[in-house]
Amino acid sequence: MKAVMIIYNQAHSQVVLEILDKCTVRGFTKWVDVQGRGSKRGEPHYGTHAWPSKNMATLAVVPQERVQPLMLELKKANEMAEDQGLRAFVWEADVLV
Amino acid sequence: MKIYESAVRKPVTTALVFVAIVVLGLFSLSKLSVDLYPEIELNAVTVMTTYSGASATDIEQNVTKRLEMSLSTVSDLKKITSTSKDNISLITVEFEYGTDMDEAVNDIRSVIDMQRNFLPDDIDAPVVLKFNSSMMPILFLSASTSSNPQGLYKILEEKVANPINRINGVASVSISGAPQREIQVLTNPKKMEAYNLTIEQLAGVLALENRNVPGGNMDIGSETFSVKIEGEFKTSDQIKDIIVGSYMGKNIFVKDVATVKDTLKERSTIVLTNGEVSAMIVIQKQSGSNVVDIANKINKELPNIRATLPPDLELNVVIDTSDFIKKSIRSLSNTVMLAGLFVMVVVLFFLGRWRATFIIILTIPVSLIAAFIYLMATGNTLNIISLSSLSIAIGMVVDDAIVVLENITEHIERGSKPKDAAIYATNEVAVAVVASTLTIVAVFFPLTMVSGLAGIMFRQLGWIVTIIISVSTLAALTLTPMLSGLMLKKDPKRGKLFELFYLPIEKALNALDGGYERLLKFALKNRTVVIVASFGLFLASLFLLRSVGTDFFPETDNSQISIQVELPVGTRVEHSRILSSHIYSIWSEKYPEIEVLQTSMGQSDGSNVFMSMGSSGTNLISYTARLTDASDRDRDIFLIADMMRADLDAIPEIYKYEVTPGGSGGGMGAGSSDIEMDVLGYNMEDAAVVAEQISDLMKGVKGLRDIKISREDYIPQLRVEFDRDKLAMNGLNLTTAASAVRNRINGLITTRFREDGEEYDIVVKNSINFRTNIEDISSIQLYNNAGKPVRLSEVGEVIEDFAPPSIEHVDRERVIKVSGTIYKRALGDIAKDINRGVSKIDLPENIAVKMTGSFEEQQDSFADMYTLLLLVAMLTYIVMAAQFESFRDPFIIMMSLPFAFTGVFVALWLTGTSLSLIALIGAIMLVGIVVKNGIVLIDYINLNKERGMSVMRSIVKGGKSRLRPVLMTTLTTILGMTPMAIGIGDGSEIWQPMGISIIGGLTLSTLLTLLVIPTIYCSLNVRDIKKIRRAHLKGLKSKN
Repeated sequence: MKAVMIIYNQAHSQVVLEILDKCTVRGFTKWVDVQGRGSKRGEPHYGTHAWPSKNMATLAVVPQERVQPLMLELKKANEMAEDQGLRAFVWEADVLV
Repeated sequence: MKIYESAVRKPVTTALVFVAIVVLGLFSLSKLSVDLYPEIELNAVTVMTTYSGASATDIEQNVTKRLEMSLSTVSDLKKITSTSKDNISLITVEFEYGTDMDEAVNDIRSVIDMQRNFLPDDIDAPVVLKFNSSMMPILFLSASTSSNPQGLYKILEEKVANPINRINGVASVSISGAPQREIQVLTNPKKMEAYNLTIEQLAGVLALENRNVPGGNMDIGSETFSVKIEGEFKTSDQIKDIIVGSYMGKNIFVKDVATVKDTLKERSTIVLTNGEVSAMIVIQKQSGSNVVDIANKINKELPNIRATLPPDLELNVVIDTSDFIKKSIRSLSNTVMLAGLFVMVVVLFFLGRWRATFIIILTIPVSLIAAFIYLMATGNTLNIISLSSLSIAIGMVVDDAIVVLENITEHIERGSKPKDAAIYATNEVAVAVVASTLTIVAVFFPLTMVSGLAGIMFRQLGWIVTIIISVSTLAALTLTPMLSGLMLKKDPKRGKLFELFYLPIEKALNALDGGYERLLKFALKNRTVVIVASFGLFLASLFLLRSVGTDFFPETDNSQISIQVELPVGTRVEHSRILSSHIYSIWSEKYPEIEVLQTSMGQSDGSNVFMSMGSSGTNLISYTARLTDASDRDRDIFLIADMMRADLDAIPEIYKYEVTPGGSGGGMGAGSSDIEMDVLGYNMEDAAVVAEQISDLMKGVKGLRDIKISREDYIPQLRVEFDRDKLAMNGLNLTTAASAVRNRINGLITTRFREDGEEYDIVVKNSINFRTNIEDISSIQLYNNAGKPVRLSEVGEVIEDFAPPSIEHVDRERVIKVSGTIYKRALGDIAKDINRGVSKIDLPENIAVKMTGSFEEQQDSFADMYTLLLLVAMLTYIVMAAQFESFRDPFIIMMSLPFAFTGVFVALWLTGTSLSLIALIGAIMLVGIVVKNGIVLIDYINLNKERGMSVMRSIVKGGKSRLRPVLMTTLTTILGMTPMAIGIGDGSEIWQPMGISIIGGLTLSTLLTLLVIPTIYCSLNVRDIKKIRRAHLKGLKSKN
């Protein structure tokens, strides 16, 4: 199993949900109102006067074989609106309860 | 969930909420009555006390003074004025506007009751009269007939007055000018003396002869009959055959000593309409009912009434006060529509997208219509103030929607889905939108708290704009994102035709952006020059203020002129009539603008309150001219009135005249303003001299007309003075002697002639031939109790004399008022000229001179306005300081205010408008409108700085990106006001100065704001940076 952490501009909220459904990922955890900024070009998302936009984060644990299609879909979504910002990170999820 | 989020997620609910608002608003609109101004309760109460036989001075000392003293303790009092004449004392108590008049009247009553015991014993109880705007007539009709003038009164009463009286809301209908029937028994005193008869005897006999007497009941058989003696005259012809006495065994008939005439009353008002004799019908409304509604009902009824009248009787509407109201409201509605259209064009021009334009424009009707709900709920009417408020607000309601929509578009272009963009983009600007709305509210809300006359006018304005702007913000935060989420798309395709039109505009706008960027860079490099130059401009504009006059209210042309002509006292009606037809022929030829000229002269017959309020006499002629609509003629009422003055000057018989454009009592703002100088002092001789000097001085002042001194002239009178000793010797008393004189000249009424259910007076008096000179009075024969005849000349004499004029008070001090009306010159300038002249007059001891009238009211309300300006500026500062969480940034933004005022002065100066109360209100509004631009600009510059840009770069980039929104919101406001400033249609003069001052102020301040505000911001920030650098340098040095 792999853990997929998707961090994205709140404007993508609906898009990410649709992608998860499309890739038959049922379980996930979502944080709204998270802050951050990109490593290279990405604008800060602080929810302040200067940087009013905010991020959301979704953590989904998915079987190995579904990671690839999911990442492809997410990449596509990101390319559609690069200015908004969408990043996804994958790592091992070892123990399940 | 935030409000905009729910709005976007629930489009149906949102849409229906606004549909409900619109429906409710339209429903209210259909129920609203139309009027010229918001309802104003007149703030004066008059106390009238009669004390028969007392002279003016007696009345002043014993009645007026006492009452005034106690009345001055009543609360909320503004002014007490009084007139003490022979027999009567009139005290007018004026209250502050907005005082509860019912309570005030109660206070007055209790004060008077308390004083009652200290007043002379034989005075009548003081009467308290509360004036009401409904006492003003709403409609004047004229009726003329070529035949049968005798029957006119009756026909008018039955067929016109009664049906109109039945209309709901009509309070009274009175007829004047229609001569009333009267039966006159005109005696020949010589013949009467020969037969030893007196007028009293003759009248007594007539009363005894003209009588129906019930004679009781009689039973005949099984039936009861009532016995009646019917002695009443069947025809007036019977009178001459009545036996009044016998002389040497022969019967003396009435016809032997008198002539009997079945005719019309001798002295009554003569009314002419366009030169023809006619009757005037005056219609008054009930208080609380609506002028326009009632006038409409009456106008609807008139054709039915006309149908019942004889064919030779012509019934015309002379003055319909609802006409001006309807026209003003119609032209204002057009102004609002036009403003809406202008705003739409501007939005389309800047956005270049149909859908976006539609979304923004939709906020206009939604928020404007909401104002009608307020009007309905508070029982107000649709009037000039409420409609002008709409006109003022129309350019501002789109501002919030523009800001919201712009941000949503940006988000969509960056790739958000429209719905998400709508929510999150609105979230980003919500605080700024609410803050900018608050600055507007900070300006308009205090208007609701203004007191005095201005308060009544601007309370509604304050509420309406506050409500409209609040609703528009609500719409911008809910309706606009909801519709944007549904309708906006990324990169919408444009039609080819549209592209053809819009491409050049887009290029021009881009060029504008570039040009502004270069200009801003230049200004930032030459900061000192820009700042010094612009403040130099502001200071220079203060000098302009000298050549801009000040006024109270702008004059309006309501197509009415009233003229009072006074001939020497004692002129007979016949003579006045010849002169009046002469004047009529001059005017009807010279002024084709006059549609109806109504003339009334002679004594008022006391048939209606309105007519008897004004002074009347055989020597007075009053005209009321109704002109064609203001928009249909080149000459305004003020010019025509001035030309009429020249015509009247050319007639030597005329003793005095007064020409009042706008008509008397046409309400606030209608017609011209007046200026009044009060000469205060106990010594009336000294005061009269000073008044005369001031009147001469005022006659020499440019722009003043109709100079009048309030103290009336001594009126010539014939005084009969009896010698009591001689009266006693002849067995007569004063009352008998005096009433004998009265009965012979004025006539004695002891009985009435009845016909068809109507009663007509039977008057017995000396024939007109024996009432023409002083001899006729002194030869009157008086009879004592023993029946012995005595000539009046034996017991008294007839003296030619003058009746002393009345004594007036202002705030318990004796006063003589000198007043004048203003013609085409600013009130402030005239006041200055007069004051300069008055300061040169050597005032006698204990005489003071004070300026009142419009000038006093202007000074009062201007002082109120300056306080308001300070209050408004402070509130706006507080709102901005809270938004920026800084003391300095709002201060920088406030720097655009001086230029707004410069713009106001320049615009007023260029258009030749004077600074009136209305223009000043415009200047106050500017405080809120102007700072909005600064907020948008500084907010974005701050944002750039926070994002880490350098000060210079923040300013240039921020300025460039905010140029279009600033220009767009400013242009919508300016163009929204343009129809008002141009002034189309009747009654537009009132609001023109406001439009002009807002446009002037906003244009100049926006242009300068775009350069000066960034420059000052830059200077202050650069100073900060330099300070930090120096401190840093010091730190480095101390380390070394």
